[in-house]
Amino acid sequence: MMEKGKISTAQMGIMMYPTIIATAILIVPAITARHAKQDMWLSPFWASLIGFLIVYIAIQLHQLYPQKTLIEYSEEILGKFLGKVVGLVFLFFYLHTSGIIIREYGEFVVGNFLLHTPLVFVMGSMILVCSFAVRSGVEVIARLAEIIVPVVIILILANIALLIPDMEVENIFPIMGKGIMPSLRGAIIPQGWFAEFLLIAFLLPYVADHHKGKKWGMISVTTVMLTLSFINIAVLFVLGGITSRFIYPAFSAVRYISIADFLEHIEAVVMSLWVAGVFVKIAVFYYALVLGTAQWLNLSDYRLIVFPIGFLLLLFAVWSASDLVELTHFLGHTSPFYRISIQLGIPLILLFVAKWRKRASHQKVTQQG
Amino acid sequence: MTVKKEGNHMFFFKESKKKIVKNQQEQQLNRNQQQPNFLSADLDQNLQKLQQIYQNCMDIVFRQFKIGGKTKAALIYIDGLANIEEIDASVLDPLMKENNDAQPIPVNYILEERLTVSKVEKVQTVTECIEHISGGNPVLLIDQQSEGFALGLANWEKRSIEEPVGESVIRGPREGFTESLGTNLSLLRRKVRSPQLKTKSMKIGEYTQTEVVITYIEGIAEQTLIREVEARLRRIKIDGILETDYIEELIEDNPYSPFPQVLNTERPDIVVAGLLEGRVAILQDGTPFALVVPVSFYSLLQTGEDYYERFLISTVTRWLRYLFLLVSLLLPSLYVAILTFHQEMLPTTLLISIAASREQIPFPALVEVLMMEVVFEALREAGLRLPKQAGSAVSIVGALVIGQAAVQAGLASTPLIMVVALTGIASFTIPRYAAGFALRMLRFPMILLAGTLGLLGIMFGLLMILTHMATLRSFGVPYLSPLAPIQGREMKDVLLRAPLWKFNTRPSLTGTDNLRRQGPDQKPDPDYGNGKTSRGKGGL
Amino acid sequence: MGILQKAAKIIFVSVPLILLGGCWDRTEVNDLALIVGLGIDQKKDGQIMLTTELIVPQAVGGGKMMGSDGGGGGVQTLARSGTGSTVADAISNLQEKLPRRVFWGHTKVIVFGERAAKAGIRQHLDFLSRNSQIRLRSNVLVSNGTAKSVFELTPPIEQSSAEVLRELSESKLLMRVTIKDALQMLSSDASAAALPMVKILPPEKGKKDLQTIAFIQRTAIFKKDKMIGDIDDKLTRGVLWLRNEIERANITVTLEGEKGNITSTMLRAHTEFIPKYEKGKWKMIVKATTEDDIILNGTKLDLLNPKYTKMIEKELEKETNERIKAALKKVQKEMKADIFGFADMFHRKYPREWNRVKNRWEEIFPTVEVIVKTEAYVRRPGVNSAPQGLPEQEVKQ
Repeated sequence: MMEKGKISTAQMGIMMYPTIIATAILIVPAITARHAKQDMWLSPFWASLIGFLIVYIAIQLHQLYPQKTLIEYSEEILGKFLGKVVGLVFLFFYLHTSGIIIREYGEFVVGNFLLHTPLVFVMGSMILVCSFAVRSGVEVIARLAEIIVPVVIILILANIALLIPDMEVENIFPIMGKGIMPSLRGAIIPQGWFAEFLLIAFLLPYVADHHKGKKWGMISVTTVMLTLSFINIAVLFVLGGITSRFIYPAFSAVRYISIADFLEHIEAVVMSLWVAGVFVKIAVFYYALVLGTAQWLNLSDYRLIVFPIGFLLLLFAVWSASDLVELTHFLGHTSPFYRISIQLGIPLILLFVAKWRKRASHQKVTQQG
Repeated sequence: MTVKKEGNHMFFFKESKKKIVKNQQEQQLNRNQQQPNFLSADLDQNLQKLQQIYQNCMDIVFRQFKIGGKTKAALIYIDGLANIEEIDASVLDPLMKENNDAQPIPVNYILEERLTVSKVEKVQTVTECIEHISGGNPVLLIDQQSEGFALGLANWEKRSIEEPVGESVIRGPREGFTESLGTNLSLLRRKVRSPQLKTKSMKIGEYTQTEVVITYIEGIAEQTLIREVEARLRRIKIDGILETDYIEELIEDNPYSPFPQVLNTERPDIVVAGLLEGRVAILQDGTPFALVVPVSFYSLLQTGEDYYERFLISTVTRWLRYLFLLVSLLLPSLYVAILTFHQEMLPTTLLISIAASREQIPFPALVEVLMMEVVFEALREAGLRLPKQAGSAVSIVGALVIGQAAVQAGLASTPLIMVVALTGIASFTIPRYAAGFALRMLRFPMILLAGTLGLLGIMFGLLMILTHMATLRSFGVPYLSPLAPIQGREMKDVLLRAPLWKFNTRPSLTGTDNLRRQGPDQKPDPDYGNGKTSRGKGGL
Repeated sequence: MGILQKAAKIIFVSVPLILLGGCWDRTEVNDLALIVGLGIDQKKDGQIMLTTELIVPQAVGGGKMMGSDGGGGGVQTLARSGTGSTVADAISNLQEKLPRRVFWGHTKVIVFGERAAKAGIRQHLDFLSRNSQIRLRSNVLVSNGTAKSVFELTPPIEQSSAEVLRELSESKLLMRVTIKDALQMLSSDASAAALPMVKILPPEKGKKDLQTIAFIQRTAIFKKDKMIGDIDDKLTRGVLWLRNEIERANITVTLEGEKGNITSTMLRAHTEFIPKYEKGKWKMIVKATTEDDIILNGTKLDLLNPKYTKMIEKELEKETNERIKAALKKVQKEMKADIFGFADMFHRKYPREWNRVKNRWEEIFPTVEVIVKTEAYVRRPGVNSAPQGLPEQEVKQ
């Protein structure tokens, strides 16, 4: 094993929280608002089901192959050739997704704050900072997450609290005015985000007490769901019907905060603290990608490829979309199918095949025995 | 100081110089590993050897005399390092008394009945003699005896115990270590009377032969830690050590990090506090600064005083310190970031007044800040060099005057002076000079980052610093614990300072051998003795 | 790797950083034109004229420092205009005339000129919300006349006209609308909005023409982003009741058979709306509640008598009802603009029925039967009990 560090399940759960939330906070409110309107706060509930399912699958696979990550046991389950192909699919998927994530972050920062700074510079510097953390291993990323996540949570709560004077509760009515369909429709897109929980398949082998894995995985999914729900509610209360007209409604709501005539325009601070959350997200993806690639290539040490992959990430981030419109369109329309099929479909197949093989070999043993 | 490679300008001959140096080092090693040179039974031979070794040293005294009027003997000591009165009274006087017996006095008799010195050690080699003489202990050589006696009569001028200058407290003991190892150890012994306080000594330094002592409390400190400390110390091969910093730099985990991974202190109470938590302390003769390992970042932010006041006071002080920690690192960069990238964040009136005061300034905010920060650092350094009386006055007045003059000359704006002053004050709140300096240093890259990317740049800087700190370890203990990895039990000493009666266990990363350190139920309660309350599960 | 290589790497990265620091988004605060107020007018030829009120930071000279305040000095404001076919166009025209870069981060107030308001404000609102620098919280108003005239004033107390308008707006004596509110109102089912109107106070005698302020009087009514009329302050109060936004009001009443006025000030007020749909008829029940204190008693009555308090409460209720009804009459029946948000309320309660009629809301709105009930409570008679200034025997107990 090339990663010698060990983390606890609590750390894993803490790491996954910003991994999902960081970019979900940006776009999910707008997307759910467009489909579900005032029921947008229900959509995270439905979407989280995928999260629970994927956590369950990942844990099951992990129990069958406790020391191995997704890439490694794909080979075991499907045989060398098919396994390598599947591994490649995953790696490419994560490379692409990470590129998209970095692009989302870059577009947000440049579009709202540093309008004239080249996108490449903003994205490149984030990749550089992440690469240091990735190089140092999963333990370091976990420790950083432990420090950053409480700050992010406090940030979210504080923002919601500061918006209370401007909230209008009536915006939530009529609840399920058109039945359950709108909220379900609104849940389709966010599923893609919850599906990212598959990343724990890369982390579980390095967790010290993995019998608690399920517990913390579920806690993580639940907290993500609650957070997204609260944020949706808060944004709904403040912006009401015009929520879907903004690209980043949560952010526009934050920009509305004004306390005692002097605490205004704090969105730059919110942005920089949010960037810390994105840092963890990108670091986790980056790490999974590097680790997976190293295992796929049977390298002895993953640290050698950290910088080259970083460069690749930058390329993918630039290439993934030609402009923000295309990016949002992709995220709002095609991405769910893409993400679900790879992050849910393939692991499901893996699980079935693995279970079937186990049963087959058991039968053989019992027959002979 | 390591062996210096001379004349790097002789680039052409560098290779051959390397070889010469290497040879010299080997020769030295060989010399030291030679056969032990035993003392001979002949006094004159011994004296000759010693006199040759101590050639051109005028402060070595060779006192030859006769024991009981018959046996030839000699006392060798260094003037100024040995207690002359004691020598006269306890050695020369009893030994030189006339003996009426015909036979020479046997050695045992001398030892047991005549020599009124408490600490006596037998020496058999010339090397041992030299060791003792250099340590201030006179050596007694007797004719026809192949063994000499080293007498524990070392005494020299030392500083008396006073309050350490750099670490003064409002409440707490005012003792500080001195340069004498013996005194320092005695200070520790007075605080920890248990025989479990172990003191292991070794000598480090080719020429200085400095005595270094490792202390720990057996049963609390982990064996692996003790062994690791010993191993790292034994690895040191150096000409001489003048300060514990030499040791620190040679045993720390990451020498390139701006953050110190070893705690140094002049206060015995801090050392003992560390020992009680399972840490290991290193004391060195010749300096009052002792080292304590392992250490985490947040323990560098503590003072002993944190535990000498009640918990509310300490908690609030602690929070203040954390706040100012951030201020000292971030305030100038925040000033630059907000003024050049995020002007909308300031209330309009504030922005207008800052803009007004900056109308005449020719420099952009970034340059202005860098300039004033550098000037401030220079002032602070200069203040350290000045004699004590002049020092503080000059630096405070100097700062004010220079600040005002800069504003009047149109070189800086008044809000900036405020920022620089606040930052300076904030950095003074950090108890450990080394940690404070690390943050002061890191301020400058942060300012540059802020000037490039605004708040985003500041966040990048913070993330990089955090990443570095997350990878740092001090003797195996993660630098950022107990925040990361989270240890719930210890958070109560980090986030606030919990009342003393809640500290039931030792920090788990250093004192795992023995976790419980207080009896249960230590919370004070005025009704306790009257039997009115029933607490705990059936009393104590 | 050796320390030299490490150092080289660091220098490699940081030198470009230092050199680049200063490109892109860095702007010195003294290179910014701090715009506190924005006025949008439409000229006769359809061109948009933009007027901005800028703050000019007065440099405090380097000389006299000791003792005097360090910064701020005096503050001057300046009004500059630019024209163009759209707001964005006008801005570039304006920027040509400004040596400093336009900075919207501190814009507090947006004023639409009357003609611009009548022509439609939707595209202007779009510009204002799309730009990330402009605060969604800026107050929006309509001026009686041109917006330009408002910003050319130099108010005696506050720093700028924009500040004056902002403070007046936030005091909520009349309507207070932010950009977000305006957007919500226009995008809602009701598709109508109300914005406060601004009038210039005539300068005092002896003062210069421009040394005066603009203050809020009347309210502009918009239907589908075009201004269709305005209502006076009394009606505005009624509208505030119907929007549950009333926070301050003084009501003067007279009691039957008594001479003299009694004025009460409102401490708290709340309006509850109960939409009803019965047999094809839309009804709205409006329940207003108010708690008051008496601040003026011009009658001879001793107000400690609970009988009188009840009488006062009845009068207050009557008066409030009348205000509300008057507002309804004008806005609902005459102007047919649903600025109260009835449409959304009906939608929330009766989504199915609403969906059927939502295209005809303009016709249906004036026919909605509104039943107004008020409950007033007089909490305290102030600090006095019996009326002051009256000889003992004349006080009616």
